[in-house]
Amino acid sequence: MRRFRTTILFSGIALLASFVLTTLPALADGETIGSVKKVSGEVGVMRDGQRTPAHPGLKLHAGDILETGPDGLLGVVLRDDSLVSLGPSSQIAIEKFRFVPAEGHLGLTARILRGTMAYVSGLIGRLAPESATFVTPVATIGVRGTHFAVRVSE
Amino acid sequence: MRIVRPIAVASLTSTLLLTACAAPRPLAVAPPPPAEPRNTVVLLADADGKVGRVVVSNQAGSRTLERAGDATCILDAGTMPTEPAAMTAAQIEAAFGAALSAQPTPPRHFILYFEQGSAELTPASRDEFSAIVAVVHDYATVDTSVVGHTDTAGDARTNLELSLRRALAVGALLAAGGVEPGALEITSHGEANPLVPTGDNVSEPRNRRVEVTVR
Repeated sequence: MRRFRTTILFSGIALLASFVLTTLPALADGETIGSVKKVSGEVGVMRDGQRTPAHPGLKLHAGDILETGPDGLLGVVLRDDSLVSLGPSSQIAIEKFRFVPAEGHLGLTARILRGTMAYVSGLIGRLAPESATFVTPVATIGVRGTHFAVRVSE
Repeated sequence: MRIVRPIAVASLTSTLLLTACAAPRPLAVAPPPPAEPRNTVVLLADADGKVGRVVVSNQAGSRTLERAGDATCILDAGTMPTEPAAMTAAQIEAAFGAALSAQPTPPRHFILYFEQGSAELTPASRDEFSAIVAVVHDYATVDTSVVGHTDTAGDARTNLELSLRRALAVGALLAAGGVEPGALEITSHGEANPLVPTGDNVSEPRNRRVEVTVR
């Protein structure tokens, strides 16, 4: 009896899901963690060993490495509303990004390899202040809901 | 012509950063290895003037930045970050101006309200809708979230379905307004995330909503 009702529920969900998929395609892009908003000069994204030029509207995934050339500037917005921007000759890897507030999964870890980065925290910084971390070659930066900038010289 | 400038800025920047970090550095008994990477971290005020906190740590210890403009420098992983000291606006601009200039416009949030038990917008929210469409176009967004919610009236399962119908209704309206469907992420939370916490089976107009975040 219980199983029967569960089956009805699941087919109901499946029906709803197929409605979602047919009416509004490509909505369920679970991998998107943010997008590129501002680009100037030479800017690229390394993903799976491939470097592609960044352009406004490019969707970002966890694991992406953002790079700017000597004349490059990059501004991105992440899913939790945080703002990440890079100055010239910079490289940062977004190693981990989890933003599922309904389930309490929140976390951001980025590695700043070189250059300059400014960060304005979003909801992760507000809802789970201990879970936004930036790692440089010589230190770890823990963010308690705020705005900061960092320079990593080689 | 554009190639020369960054070099000039870089050398100016190093000079300014040296000034910002020179005072608090303790006398070194053994000279630190000069080729090690060096970091500078500066705390800045939020757009609304609020100032949070940043903790900078490594194996030698940690420093907390709590005042806007305060900075700490890190010589290497085994040396304590320097005592926080204020950077001037000019020093901040020289060191971080380029990165700060690339900051995108912060995302915009909208809440649309619905009639009880229905996926029909309230008249006030219907009037507001064109403003949202305008912002979505203005932002050239590829990443807009549409999240449906309900109040706690009725059972949770029905509400989960109702919240999805509300979110889909808003998604369809945005699509009709010319928004690329691939830019929309539609989800629903049922009655689990009320804007105004209530007990179960409470009809609360402020919880019958769809939240739209335009990034």
